[in-house]
Amino acid sequence: MKAVLILLALPAILLPLACFVYIIIQALPALNWELLMGSNTTSGSLFAGTAGTGHGLWGQISGSLLMMLLACFLAAPLALSIALFHALWASPYQQRMMVILLQVLQGIPPIVYGLCGLIVLVHLLHWGISLAAGGVILALVILPLLSSNAIHALERIPIAQTESAKALGLSVGAVIVRVWLPSAWSSMLTGLLLAMARALSETAPILFTATVFSGITWPDSIFSPVTSLQTHIFYLAQEGSNAHAVDMAWASAAVLLGLVLCFSLMARLLRRYEGAL
Amino acid sequence: MSQLLHDEQQQGNTQQTSCSAPSSISLKELSLELSGTKILKNVSFDLSSAGINCLVGPSGAGKSSLLRCLTLLYDNWQGKITMDGIAIQSWPKGADALRRHIGLIAQKPSIFPTSIYQNVIFGLSRQERKQDQQKWVEACLRKAALWDEVCNRLFDPASTLSIGQQQRLCIARVIALNPNVLLLDEPTSSLDPRSKQLIEASLYDLAKNIPVLCVTHDLEQAQRLQGQMIFMCDGKLIETAPTNDFFQSPKRLETREFLRWSVCNCDE
Repeated sequence: MKAVLILLALPAILLPLACFVYIIIQALPALNWELLMGSNTTSGSLFAGTAGTGHGLWGQISGSLLMMLLACFLAAPLALSIALFHALWASPYQQRMMVILLQVLQGIPPIVYGLCGLIVLVHLLHWGISLAAGGVILALVILPLLSSNAIHALERIPIAQTESAKALGLSVGAVIVRVWLPSAWSSMLTGLLLAMARALSETAPILFTATVFSGITWPDSIFSPVTSLQTHIFYLAQEGSNAHAVDMAWASAAVLLGLVLCFSLMARLLRRYEGAL
Repeated sequence: MSQLLHDEQQQGNTQQTSCSAPSSISLKELSLELSGTKILKNVSFDLSSAGINCLVGPSGAGKSSLLRCLTLLYDNWQGKITMDGIAIQSWPKGADALRRHIGLIAQKPSIFPTSIYQNVIFGLSRQERKQDQQKWVEACLRKAALWDEVCNRLFDPASTLSIGQQQRLCIARVIALNPNVLLLDEPTSSLDPRSKQLIEASLYDLAKNIPVLCVTHDLEQAQRLQGQMIFMCDGKLIETAPTNDFFQSPKRLETREFLRWSVCNCDE
């Protein structure tokens, strides 16, 4: 029985590991410092950057990180407010409805968010393809995840602790600032790091709303388009006949995987710290 | 210890001194219904002047709910509760201000994830945190019979204390607010005999200055505390009497039954 279960469980460990190793092996020939820190500033042809005028990924890395940061900056306060409303004022019925709606929002395919962003932000509001549009759409994508995490973080605080604080005459604001947030910050930060990893790995929502293939290292303003690792891989993968493009795609994938792993590992370390508290 | 506490109050801590006088609490026709179940049924009694009052009764009698009504943690009750003649629902500056006058200690100690020292001053506002705060903390910890055990490790996490010590820390935290009335919900139910003894001594000392209402299932403890007995059963107030009268010559049949069997048999 045990052997059967081990056999069934093995793919869960081996498949991701195999994918990771394969990506690294494929990416190794192209991975170097110049690739990470160099910029691809030549616009025009799809492979202008691969022709030798500078084929770095710095523009893509910075674009992805900028969008991720903007999304978290927008979504985190909203998620915290949603969690506080859920804990403080929502009736049991409203609490159930909120949880169901957040689950529904989490289930919406990211491409649908991207389409909404294209219609509403890019066209109706005339933001154009921009960092702002991408950030807002990514914020909507990670909002349910962040909110659910914040709700659970607050739910884990013992009721007795909240009541003790109230019994000492602390106002609602003081209970939030002095009891809830100090108790829940590590859980919330863990959720934020996981949301950052999620924002980094999303491609569809920013495909129509924020990114171009090349020509931008650092956006001029929040309403300028950016390049990103996710969409860069998408564009490069479409050119399967070009060996250099494929190498670049593998290298981009390895860098993106590294960034996502970084945030996931930070979240994991924080969770361990949280458990030790 | 009591003298020390009051010496501290007189050292310029005017805001705290202003609420150090014992208060009287009066309950009239207090009723409470939760999820369609009547928890309290027309309960009326007075807590006046200093002294210990033991609220006893079987489980489900409504004792803990009554304490929650008194501190407005439940606010959907009917009837009238007044403190020093003022209805608590319309207490000046609201429920938060009222709770600073009525100290509540729960059955299980609930400490905040910070140091012992910070736990004691947790309820104090910035204005109340004075220069001689350390002396005030010492006075409160002495009053809660905890100082000798923690004086060398005030800045250690409060979570390093035993359960009995944590409960005494909760008492010190409430004393730091200088309440006019102290409510305790089975404060020693899960404690070792020594902690129980220390808390009882602390309560006895506190009750010299303010009214103390202590919910307890431990009838021996109620006898030791030697205060006014209040007996509740099935959400109703059955009998109030001085300790000796309550145990030696209870007037009501329900009380006699309770004392005899410690089981309520008062369904009407």
